[in-house]
Amino acid sequence: MRPIVCAAALAAAFLGSAPAFGQDTADSGADPAWWPEYTEFFGEFALEATLFPETPQFPGQANHAGSVAGEATLLAEWLDGDLAVEVTPFARFDFADQERSNFDVRTAKVDYAFGDWALRLGADRIFWGRAEAFHLVDIVNQTDAAEDLDDEDRLGQPMIRLARLTDIGEFSAIYFPYNRTRRFPGADGRLRTEPRVDDDAPIFEPSANRFAPSFALRYSGFVGPVDLGISMFHGLARDPSFTFDPTTGRLRPVYSRITQGAVDFQYTSGATLWKFEGLVRAGERDVTFDKSFFGAATGGLEHTLFGLFGSNADLGLILEYAVDSRFDDANTIFQNDLILGTRLALNDVDDTSVLLTGTGDLEDGSLAFRAEAERRLGERVKLSLEAQIFDLRSTGIAASLADDSFVRLKLGVFF
Amino acid sequence: MRPVTAEAFAATVTRLRYLLLALCIALVGVAMVPIGNIWPPDPSARIFFAPENPERQALDEYEAAYAKDDNLAIVLVPDDGDVFSPEHLALIGEITERAWRLPLVRRVDSLTNFQHTFADADGLVVRDLVEDPATVTPEEAAEAKAIALNRLEVVDRLVSPAADVSQVSVLFRLPGLKPTEEVPSIVSAARELVADVEANHPVDIRLTGAIMINNQFASSGREDSANLLGPMFVVILVIVGAALRSVFATVAVLIVISLSAMAGLGAAGWFGFRLNSVTVLAPLYIMTLAVASAVHVLAACRARMPETGDRRVWVEKALAEHAPAIAIACVTTAIGFYSLNFSISPPFRQLGNIVGTGVLAAMVLTLFALPCLITLLPMRRQSSAEAEPRLMRAIAEFVIARRRAVLPAMLLVVAGCAAGIATIKLEDDFLRYFDERYAFRQDTDFTEERLTGVNQLNYALPAGAPQGINDPAYLTEHAAFVSWLREQPEVRHVYSLTDTIRRLTMNMNDDDPSFYRLPETEEAAAQYLFLYELSLGYGQDLTDQINVERSAMRATAAINRATTAEMRALTLRAGDWIAENAPMMQAAWTEEHPERAQVTPTGVVHVFNLISYRDVRAMLSGTAIALVLISGIIMLSLRSVRVGLVSLVPNLVPAAMAFGLWGYLVGNVTLAIAVVLAATLGIVVDDTVHFLSKYHAARRKGASPEDAVRHAFLRVGNALLITTIGLVAGFAVLATSGFAVNGDMAKLTAITITVALIADFLLLPCLLIWLDKRKDAMPLRTATTSTAMMVTGGLLAIAACMADTRARAEDPAAKGLAIAEASDKRDLGWSAYTVEGEMILRDAGGGENRRVFENLLMEREARSEGDLSVIVFSRPRDIRGTGLLTHANIEPTDDDQWLYLPALKRVKRISSSNRTGKFVSSEFSYEDLGSQEVDDYTYKWLRNEPCPGAETLTCHVVESYPVNKNSGYARRIGWVDNAEYRQWRVEFYNRGDALEKVLTSHGYQEYAGNYWRADRLTMENVQTGKSTDLLFTNYDFSAGLDDGDFDPNRLARMAR
Repeated sequence: MRPIVCAAALAAAFLGSAPAFGQDTADSGADPAWWPEYTEFFGEFALEATLFPETPQFPGQANHAGSVAGEATLLAEWLDGDLAVEVTPFARFDFADQERSNFDVRTAKVDYAFGDWALRLGADRIFWGRAEAFHLVDIVNQTDAAEDLDDEDRLGQPMIRLARLTDIGEFSAIYFPYNRTRRFPGADGRLRTEPRVDDDAPIFEPSANRFAPSFALRYSGFVGPVDLGISMFHGLARDPSFTFDPTTGRLRPVYSRITQGAVDFQYTSGATLWKFEGLVRAGERDVTFDKSFFGAATGGLEHTLFGLFGSNADLGLILEYAVDSRFDDANTIFQNDLILGTRLALNDVDDTSVLLTGTGDLEDGSLAFRAEAERRLGERVKLSLEAQIFDLRSTGIAASLADDSFVRLKLGVFF
Repeated sequence: MRPVTAEAFAATVTRLRYLLLALCIALVGVAMVPIGNIWPPDPSARIFFAPENPERQALDEYEAAYAKDDNLAIVLVPDDGDVFSPEHLALIGEITERAWRLPLVRRVDSLTNFQHTFADADGLVVRDLVEDPATVTPEEAAEAKAIALNRLEVVDRLVSPAADVSQVSVLFRLPGLKPTEEVPSIVSAARELVADVEANHPVDIRLTGAIMINNQFASSGREDSANLLGPMFVVILVIVGAALRSVFATVAVLIVISLSAMAGLGAAGWFGFRLNSVTVLAPLYIMTLAVASAVHVLAACRARMPETGDRRVWVEKALAEHAPAIAIACVTTAIGFYSLNFSISPPFRQLGNIVGTGVLAAMVLTLFALPCLITLLPMRRQSSAEAEPRLMRAIAEFVIARRRAVLPAMLLVVAGCAAGIATIKLEDDFLRYFDERYAFRQDTDFTEERLTGVNQLNYALPAGAPQGINDPAYLTEHAAFVSWLREQPEVRHVYSLTDTIRRLTMNMNDDDPSFYRLPETEEAAAQYLFLYELSLGYGQDLTDQINVERSAMRATAAINRATTAEMRALTLRAGDWIAENAPMMQAAWTEEHPERAQVTPTGVVHVFNLISYRDVRAMLSGTAIALVLISGIIMLSLRSVRVGLVSLVPNLVPAAMAFGLWGYLVGNVTLAIAVVLAATLGIVVDDTVHFLSKYHAARRKGASPEDAVRHAFLRVGNALLITTIGLVAGFAVLATSGFAVNGDMAKLTAITITVALIADFLLLPCLLIWLDKRKDAMPLRTATTSTAMMVTGGLLAIAACMADTRARAEDPAAKGLAIAEASDKRDLGWSAYTVEGEMILRDAGGGENRRVFENLLMEREARSEGDLSVIVFSRPRDIRGTGLLTHANIEPTDDDQWLYLPALKRVKRISSSNRTGKFVSSEFSYEDLGSQEVDDYTYKWLRNEPCPGAETLTCHVVESYPVNKNSGYARRIGWVDNAEYRQWRVEFYNRGDALEKVLTSHGYQEYAGNYWRADRLTMENVQTGKSTDLLFTNYDFSAGLDDGDFDPNRLARMAR
């Protein structure tokens, strides 16, 4: 079933690239009054090949993987842009891991703005936070852990959001009628845990289900060089804890009802950005399955050397640290970690850039290196390379990834 | 709405003072309603463990399975040094008997009722070691000694190896129904027994054990509060009296601080806290902290006295001057204390909440109740003006004159002190929380030295199945673990039933010593234990060693005095040993406790070890958050990020120095240390706030850094000195507490506050002068403005800067400037517009690369603000929807700039200090495109000539020189027509003064009846042959844009 849906979505994406949709349609007199003033259709189709040089740890895991993915956005606007509808389906077909093949509606929303107020109905992605390596405060969307490890692929989250823009910043309140669960790689996929996670059998507690209502409040604003965000969240956690199910031999994700308060800020001082994110959270279970009230923080600095050696290239230096008051008991890998990174942007016509990061766990000495490089080829094609090397010392569940270093090449076609 | 000024606030408060006093008293009254719930103090050592603490849960679980081990150790030391003399055995027997009559007793173990086993013709015999102590003969005593000193279960537990010390161990079952009465009743009964025995026998008796620990926790709390309250009041009276030289002013302070303390205690009641040995000192903390605020107000009143006799004027002026600083100081102090909520140990959380609330109450009372008190109390007016604080003047002059020596010297001292942190060892010892002045501590030290360890680790070792403890495999593993434990240096004694079972096996085999081993079959083990239990004396059953299902048996290790780290290491080693060598116990454990990998012991001491270890880490995050919040408040209140960052130094340095000094002087720290940093942070901030606010105010009025430092010293130096002396004296009183948690916390706090004053007087002024001088010397700091694509706006501004036909000045520089100023006005008033743009990048070989974007611009009318701009790219397709928002600022402040990344749907603030870089690799640099102001350049008018590209027009040719040294150019030459100030050509000369780029404009059209915009700009690099065209279409000056459209929160929507 799943491949068919994916294929259909991909086909739709391609058909959409035909010039059926005009740009500004307001002037064409033939259109009825309800017809949008502006429509646009755009998206991306991507081919991806991944090579795992090391022998897999677990039977059935592949040495290499290939996949195709497509994402298309249909945008329509009325009332001079005050009323907008946006739909973005996403589909991936992975030849190695069935669980990684999927179809998701990343965005399907109606935005309506009236004066200082803005109302949003539907699924969307919203990012909160400042830090580069670890997105601590970001909580609106569920992460798609099957898609990539970098915590930057997020699932569409249904919501009703009301926001008001004031002189000191924006205040928003969000109601989530439905909660997404995290997706994890399947048995054949690499980059998975052992025992693997049974994402079809989540547990919601206390006695909740996916429809348990969640709420969030956020203030976001800036004063001079300081950007500040303050947020509250109450509802089902996005980060699951895990419990071992002896009957299936798998881990079942447990989504608890949590309450958290968080701040994030950035101080921009010349070429140096100082970043901080911190939160306190109650109700989440840690790895010992205890519920604790805990605090976590991440932050650091990003300094850019502009015009490196007289060229037009910029070199960014990133230093961040992430800590969780539960330390070893935290159900995140960023519990006491130092992240060093460098971002080279050549600023050439093809926007060539390279990002290298190294994450070191100050508790057990595990290291993970990641490289991302990308370059545009012509007008609508982009080539990206992604590589990750693990040197894990941990004996915990994270050790399942020890042999999953990989190199991934991606060719994206944009329309 | 009119902003609330300190003056307006002071006037209102003064007018409404009677009402406010009444409201304050009513508020304190309401706060006091539930105060009955907080007394008497909770007499348990377990208050330190939160119910959600996993080790506390393990302890509770363990005690549900076995008996709760609240034991009392009655330690006997015969004067003649022989426990086994008949009279002493008789005495032990008597104490054993009488101990059974203590309240809530459950079991008594002693030398005399130790269950001795041997074989006789009928089989197994089990009897008391000394069957009838009262009539024991010397022969029987000698026999008992021979037996006892050979039993592993006895030596180092009930009797010392030299037989000179013995213990009667009494176990109690505390129902917990009346927690405040149970332990004290046991202790008083036990003390009666001891006094009676000591009066009639030549023996020294000491009491220790869990019951005594609990009792000590409760009684030391009471003693502390009783003993310290009086001295505290005296200290406050003396210091406040000396500082204010007025009886009634002192009375006013006392009223305020007493009400604050009551409000804090009342808050404890509302929070549902019962006081304990830590929180019992909360009112003393509150009073110490509240004194400072009240003194500030009263001292300011005193300064006003010579001017007028009108009390209302004193109050109003004092409030206007000090209310903001007091509010900040109290709020930061409260935040520091509230951050104790990050502690995992409840007493500290409660202390933080009570003191934090009390300090806020003190703020309210100081600001709202004290004014009325001052007008009501018959304070004598002091007519002489206060002399200039000569000491402060001397310090100020010294610091200013010698700052080049003082700053490095201070930094060295700070570094030297802070290095001491490395010598700090985290050593928590429950038993040594009470210093040697307490009999309990002396008795415990004695017992540990002479007899056995008072701290115990209890292992409940599971067998995996009901009746599983009889399995020989299990017994073998258990016994092996016990022997392993006995080999560990920290372990004094291990009590385990396996020793008894070995002996039973021997007994059942006719006392053949070669059978002193574990039974070989399950049946044998079950049978021996059954026979043994049948014969046990009253109260000697095995329920304290074996659980009801018989699936687990216990091993209890008594530990020598050991540090926290050693204890942790021991438990980890033991866990490893079991995992490696005892598969059966490990498997059973894993099944019972899937969440805990290692077999872990329990016992109050183990839980305590983990608490201190975890708490230090938990409090680190709490402190960090408090630090951020407090620094944020300082930044907000002084409206300066820079000052806020500078304030971090004197706020953090004292704690680092105090910890370092502590490391040198004392070395080890207790649980209390974890919370000190957070608690003191809020206090030391006060001094910094007072100093910085006065300094900052003087600087804003134009004073030099040196004068501002002088001003700050003269205005607040004395008050800071007085309040610091008051605080240090107050905490010095608290430091005399014999309870280490309270004593150490107070000592360290006192040191920190003292060091903080030194840092504020010596380090902070030097730092401020140094940093401000540096800033003054470099007005054109690296920071440069902008980037944003203020394309047309920016370029026209250049044009504007260079054109004015009406310029009449003959001096070329003045004429150039006049052209720039006049033409700047020419392009004002366009309000907002949108335009579609395309950038075509051409390389020398003719290759092309295109970028398509839409630009939205908005003018900000204030001259002190630059314009607003949003650029949204639509091609190349992979950067479609990428948005760049710029709020331009006037040099030398960087622009504010945000980037919207559609793939992540993330808005990111980015650095805008890059001036010379090429915008999207075009020939336009960020500097070329940024917003340009008249004063960013100096000018020289060169000549007039026909405009290049429009020969019918006449152009001014003006040379301009960037003021900013980080500009990429040495100069530019611009051609601007004298009709409409349109720019036709600009030549850019690089830093080497070589012509680098030429900009030409084409296709000017007039929009909105007033504003000229070009259709095409071409930038040609004459050195590389590359060029960039900027094409503009669809200018729309009617687009309805407002400020909100240029808010970073709306960028995602604008960049669609």
